[in-house]
Amino acid sequence: MAVKELFAQLHEIAENPRAQLDKYLAQGKKVVAVAPIYTPEEIIHSMGIVPMGVWGADLELNEAKKYFPAFISAIVQSILECGIRGDYKGVSALVVPSLCDNLMVLGQNWKYAVPDIPYVPMSYPQNRKPAYGKKFCKASYERVINDLTIATGCKYSHPALRESIKIYNEHNAVMREFAELASEAKISAVERHDVFKSAWFMLKEEHTAIVKQINEELKNGPKADETARVYVSGVLADAPQLLKVFDDNGVKIVFDDVAAESRQYRTDCPEDFQDPIDGMAQKWANMDNCSFLYDRDKKRVGMIVEQAKAHKAQGVIVLMTKFSDTEEFDFVPIKRACEKEGIQILNIEVDRQMVNYEQASTMIQAFKEMI
Amino acid sequence: MYTLGIDIGSTTSKAVILNENKEIVAQSIVVATVGTNGVSKAIENVMTESGLTMDDMACSTATGYGRQTYDGATYQVSELSCHAIGVHHVFPDARTVIDIGGQDAKVLSINDSGKMSNFIMNDKCAAGTGRFLDVMANILQLDISELEVEAAKAEDAVSISSTCTVFAESEVISQLANGIPIPELVKGICESVAIRVASQARRGGIREEVVMSGGVARNAGVRNAMEKELGVTIRYSELSQLMGALGAALYGLNKINA
Repeated sequence: MAVKELFAQLHEIAENPRAQLDKYLAQGKKVVAVAPIYTPEEIIHSMGIVPMGVWGADLELNEAKKYFPAFISAIVQSILECGIRGDYKGVSALVVPSLCDNLMVLGQNWKYAVPDIPYVPMSYPQNRKPAYGKKFCKASYERVINDLTIATGCKYSHPALRESIKIYNEHNAVMREFAELASEAKISAVERHDVFKSAWFMLKEEHTAIVKQINEELKNGPKADETARVYVSGVLADAPQLLKVFDDNGVKIVFDDVAAESRQYRTDCPEDFQDPIDGMAQKWANMDNCSFLYDRDKKRVGMIVEQAKAHKAQGVIVLMTKFSDTEEFDFVPIKRACEKEGIQILNIEVDRQMVNYEQASTMIQAFKEMI
Repeated sequence: MYTLGIDIGSTTSKAVILNENKEIVAQSIVVATVGTNGVSKAIENVMTESGLTMDDMACSTATGYGRQTYDGATYQVSELSCHAIGVHHVFPDARTVIDIGGQDAKVLSINDSGKMSNFIMNDKCAAGTGRFLDVMANILQLDISELEVEAAKAEDAVSISSTCTVFAESEVISQLANGIPIPELVKGICESVAIRVASQARRGGIREEVVMSGGVARNAGVRNAMEKELGVTIRYSELSQLMGALGAALYGLNKINA
């Protein structure tokens, strides 16, 4: 299949997750919604359940405002709004990791606002690497398994988890390869995003099969001809109008540190643990370079600079999710590090409720003219 | 050879014609913007003033809020770049530009080569912009041009603590009800704009010379408040509101000469 057809296929899925949900339900599968940012999908998958990502939507917030204060991320507000509106009808549960204040509040509000879809908390330890952190993490995974068994009736087994870990590790590798190939290939910001976004709504083995074909096509396809190369960081780079601004201005996203995109695929789960849940806890311990993961040394900052340089980015654009304090805290050291290395940096505040991208468009165009 | 620069701002449309010696042949400011006949009127004005026609233009460059919807230009460039080019032309030693327009405020850094090296735009908010001054002038039943006259009369300024335009409007009405003289209120309003934009400017870093451009730069009350707030001399030109259009025309000229 030609690469454009493959992109079109993923675009359709990325734009219409409800159809994907209905398809899996019609196949008799159980589906569980997984909230940002690092839900243990391998465990859910191993129980024969389809994990589907929920990162909210660009919509007007009405009902969710009854539960949230005004100054909180529109991502979690829109997840709740979708839940109250019935957009997730059919899913058996929602798993929410407790990785920031916004997400913790989402879980608590969900219990009352959407009582027909059970809330499953995933409490991660921020002290990830010590033995006690891994022990805590394992206990939290076991609670998720228990809650999902009650919510879905599906059973857990070690052999099935081992198999799912292999599937997810393969998907991680394929996505990492895609990100590298997309760095040099002629591919639009919208197409690049569709590959990442569609992954949230598909069984990973299905997604892997398509992305493998895309990767083969990209290896032999035309090379990028945009004049400006940028590295993008943030929680989400999701709005089609915003991505179109990149494309319209000939600004190529050469690599990313976006939470919903490349950050998901950096760390594989070790496959050699006798108890694969211990392997999952070790994966958590091995993760780093993310604003949501406690790191006193802020290694993420150096990683962004190195990745930007490695991919010949002329600038770094941070798409700052409004009221995401974890991301906001990291911006200052990122800015200083980029400036020290002579890399131009631009901060654009984004929101789930943006309707006008004129200001963002001006900033991106001016940034291109500047670099 | 002539080039045309068109700056389609959020409240006004500006046009400038330059000759090959980078001299302004004609200029126009029309208080009407995108979606109106403001742009065509501004162009018509400069053509009439210069006795030239569009056929005489080697190229035209559109900038400003409405640049993307105007399809008659050879080039389309962001207003940030155009203000940097325009200010550098008039003030070659300028290193910081504070551009306060009708609905946004921008701070630009210019390097020693005259190229924009950094910029900061305001949040999506009317505070600290020309719109804020429009709203306040309306409450006080003053013409926008009278604000600097009133501010100059005041010894002291009343502090306007609200940064939000809507809340500030209520605050000004309350102060009027308390019998505060209009000059003191106007001076406080100018300082409010200066304080907000100055904090934005400090984020980008202040390097002298500092130049104000954009429509609000015409208001001496805001310029004086900005000088006081930043502790630096603020340079200003009668062309401040035309800097975007001038930069656009210069951009076109540079393209032709490249």
